[in-house]
Amino acid sequence: MRGMLWRKTRFGLRYAWRDLSGDPRGFTIFILCIIIGVAALSCVSGLSFSLSQGLSQEGRVILGGDISLSLMSRQLTDDQRAFLTAHGKVSDVYVLRAMARRDNDDAAVIEIKAVDTTTYPSFGVVTLSPNLALADALKEINGVAGAAVDPLLLTRLNLKLGETIMIGNAKIELRAILENEPDKLAAGLGLGPRVLISLNALESSGLQTPGAIIRHLTRLTLDGPATNDDVKTLQYQLANIFPQAGWDIRSRDAISPQFTRNLDRFTQLLTLVALTALVAGGAGVANAVNAFVEKKHKQHAILKVLGLSGAHVFLIALTEILLASFVAIGCGLMIGALLPFIAAPALRQGTGLPFIQSFNSPGLAIGALYGLLVTCIFSFIPLGRIHETPVSCLLRDQPAFTKYFRYRSLTLIAVLFLLGLVINFAADLRLGLGFIFAVSLALGILFIASKLLMLAFRTLPHPKNPSLRLAFANIWRPKSLAPAILISIGLTQTLILTLIIVENSLHHELERADLGEIPNFYFLDVPKDKVNNFQDLLISQETSAHIQHAPMMRGRFIEIKGEAVERRAIADDAKWVLEGDRGITFSTTVPSNSKLIEGDWWPENYNGPPLVSLEKKTAEGFGLSLGDTIKVNVMGRLIVATVANFRKVDWRSYAINFVMVFSPNSFKTAPYNELFTISFDARSTDERNLKDANLTREIAKKFPSVVTIHVRETLASVDKIISQLALAARGATSIAILTAGLALASAILSSHRLRRYDAVILKIIGATRRWLTYAYGIEFTLLSIIASLIALLTAACAAYAMTKYLMKIDFIFPLLAVGGCMVVTIVATSTLGLMLTMRILSGSPARQLRNL
Amino acid sequence: MKSIIEIKDVNLTLGEGAARVHVLKNIHLTICAGETVGLLGPSGSGKSTLLMTLAGLERPDSGDIIINGNNLCDLTEDRLATFRGRHVGIVFQSFLLIPTMTALENVATPLEIAGRDDAYARAKEELTSVGLGDRLSHYPAQLSGGEQQRVAIARALAPEPLIVIADEPTGNLDSETGAAITDLIFKQQKKKQTTLILVTHDPNLAARCGRRVMLKSGLIAADDAR
Repeated sequence: MRGMLWRKTRFGLRYAWRDLSGDPRGFTIFILCIIIGVAALSCVSGLSFSLSQGLSQEGRVILGGDISLSLMSRQLTDDQRAFLTAHGKVSDVYVLRAMARRDNDDAAVIEIKAVDTTTYPSFGVVTLSPNLALADALKEINGVAGAAVDPLLLTRLNLKLGETIMIGNAKIELRAILENEPDKLAAGLGLGPRVLISLNALESSGLQTPGAIIRHLTRLTLDGPATNDDVKTLQYQLANIFPQAGWDIRSRDAISPQFTRNLDRFTQLLTLVALTALVAGGAGVANAVNAFVEKKHKQHAILKVLGLSGAHVFLIALTEILLASFVAIGCGLMIGALLPFIAAPALRQGTGLPFIQSFNSPGLAIGALYGLLVTCIFSFIPLGRIHETPVSCLLRDQPAFTKYFRYRSLTLIAVLFLLGLVINFAADLRLGLGFIFAVSLALGILFIASKLLMLAFRTLPHPKNPSLRLAFANIWRPKSLAPAILISIGLTQTLILTLIIVENSLHHELERADLGEIPNFYFLDVPKDKVNNFQDLLISQETSAHIQHAPMMRGRFIEIKGEAVERRAIADDAKWVLEGDRGITFSTTVPSNSKLIEGDWWPENYNGPPLVSLEKKTAEGFGLSLGDTIKVNVMGRLIVATVANFRKVDWRSYAINFVMVFSPNSFKTAPYNELFTISFDARSTDERNLKDANLTREIAKKFPSVVTIHVRETLASVDKIISQLALAARGATSIAILTAGLALASAILSSHRLRRYDAVILKIIGATRRWLTYAYGIEFTLLSIIASLIALLTAACAAYAMTKYLMKIDFIFPLLAVGGCMVVTIVATSTLGLMLTMRILSGSPARQLRNL
Repeated sequence: MKSIIEIKDVNLTLGEGAARVHVLKNIHLTICAGETVGLLGPSGSGKSTLLMTLAGLERPDSGDIIINGNNLCDLTEDRLATFRGRHVGIVFQSFLLIPTMTALENVATPLEIAGRDDAYARAKEELTSVGLGDRLSHYPAQLSGGEQQRVAIARALAPEPLIVIADEPTGNLDSETGAAITDLIFKQQKKKQTTLILVTHDPNLAARCGRRVMLKSGLIAADDAR
């Protein structure tokens, strides 16, 4: 029995190999679709792995140590410093935002990093141009401290090396260009160019005032060869010994959890798009397998006649398909492994992110598995015909279809396995499920639409015009291209149009600054004893401006309802509040742009225990109710406050708004500065630019410690990042377009037999090639127009849901961009269809007749 | 009688390399208007190929085929198609109807391609004359073999062509139906005085032709008219 089984298996393998290698025609598109899909998946996972490996391997360099402790507006206590010093080498870095002012009073916001040149950098090298030692570049010469700067500052303020700027009260000489800053990434996104100065220079600037927003970073490098476990152990000790410290701890293997989380989410999104590309190419797989089954049906009948069971013949056919698939997957994996490896150095150079050359074996394995699953999903049912169809039917030219229950079940199992993989590897489960739902819905809608379309065309009165009649008939007949075109074009165009609409809506959101809908400037660190003077200055510059101000401190959540925040389950969309320090204020009245929705506001002269008003969504995410308590660390002071009310905040107004607003008595003697915003109109762009420049100059001159944030410029920087991310997403989507195009091409080619039959007859009875081209052109154009319209509807709905409910921005419909995309798609689809159909129109009718 | 078809020294080879076959060898044939000509011969003698070249579906390697003063060898592919649509009606053994068009549409299509305004009226008229006046809206799949061949005949005759070519028109039909089709073909030919050239193995069909041309190995072996 076992011997018989082995002989049959050996025969099957030999037969499959000989058959496939003897005639591999018909698998070109199949192989290309799998290669592209698997390569895309592997590339995405490879690039993500390359970056996360880089972050992990270079963690010490990027972080500046094994552990980094960050405190806002205060420094470590003596106990805390002593504890750290006992475990290794400690270095201090101060990071703050300030204004650089040149001799003509032009000013620009800068990101200062003040360092102790004896301990900085702990790892890596600071590269300067000219090639100076850092200590020499920053030291004081003739009473003037030096700085190394981002070349962007020189451009912004039209400066040269050797010239000086004012930072606060300190005169600083620009001595070198900062070419490499090893710990740049750990500092996060800045609003202005970097300026590196010494700690002494910072002190002399006068910017270190109580309440000033200065981040104090203390980096610890552990003694001896420390492993990641050693680092984790120390982290636990710090959390246990100083539970109320209120610092932000990062370790060398978790430099920026938020960055890592966003990277994972973005990778997941690109993976899902690449997977959609693979699935879109599945139609090409299905067509190839169908063509294979038709081509080989007589051979399979003979095998059955000779005594092989249907299941055995099915397995032989499946082996051939899988062999072709393995070749394709292998090629895809090679490309997917090599591309990130080759691209890593260029990406590192271009983005400044620590991409390294690496191979992501688990990622490649998953890519291979996806490729195999897609092959199975699109092969089981067509191959099932070999098993299920009787021999007599196989020997006829048109095999009869029978039920394929077992193969539909197998296909369903493969689909569920695929979905399971997607969900299992989802960094963000909601995103994964949402994407699966959206794609499934789109596929379902497109499939139903194609069937309804065929029914509609069948039911329509036959047109008098014979070209139209042929076009309509080709749409409703069996083996019509309607499902292939609607699904391929519809799915990929839905992706593209959704991307276009969402991106456009994001850009519009950021352009609101130009429309005067949001403040022109934010001013940070306005000393509280100079509020009236500052306000007077603003009014004198812009008499009709709308000015708002509020006290501002920075603080961190320590406990929620008596439980440490680290141990508490927090909703995903509220986690951002716990990352780093948050702006905190106090107020006697409900802030404008906020609406009290639950609870009561405290009276104006309230003097009881601290009360806090929370933004409603944040409170829900934390699981807080009225009367619950929170503990926050505000500049070293622990405040326990009772939740008095909830507010709904309109964040999109960009007005002054805070997650937490305390009762004024909470911070009776606390040092703080004020935050100001100003909004004013201008008749033209030139006038606005002039007003902006004048205001910036005046503020910088008269209030050198105040940081001026130009909202429009800031949003433009964010806009640029969004454009770059959108470019990456578009790159992934273009892969989906490619595979969908291949799948469509295979569908068109597989319909050639029927088209050739009609074309030959029509040529015989007098149709010219132009006539036939016109008829086919109508068919392809009609189908691609209908597919585009359905895609437009689906994309508009998807984009509306994303912008309104997920991103909470306005839904803006870019008619020109969308229309242009649709026109291009329609033209491309029609052209592809006609090009592939041209073969039918050439050649002598007699030869084609013989081949019918 | 006026000659309507002149075939002069036509040679045609098919296939490539070792499979290359000289199918038609120096064929010289003249057919007059209104003649009924049967092309006979064993399998592989070149009968169907000669018919295909007459219809402009196959191009000879050398020689001329002149139909009503038009040399088919001088026409481009598209002009051949146009000429065929207007002047040559063709009936095939396997009917070759367009499956997604009704009987009426199948017959009307060559007339519409030729740009005739009365396409549907003519088609209806022709279908009625072949006995299918009540089957106008039926698809080929809904018609019997004999009925499909009637539609094919109606399609061939509707443009009122100069010549009608039939390649084994009864080959796929049973003897009773075949006889009915044979009667129909000759009845229509007599009515319209069309020149008819057909290939057949059917001796009854061959006997109805006014002239019989025998082909053997690509050569004309016998010709009643000589």
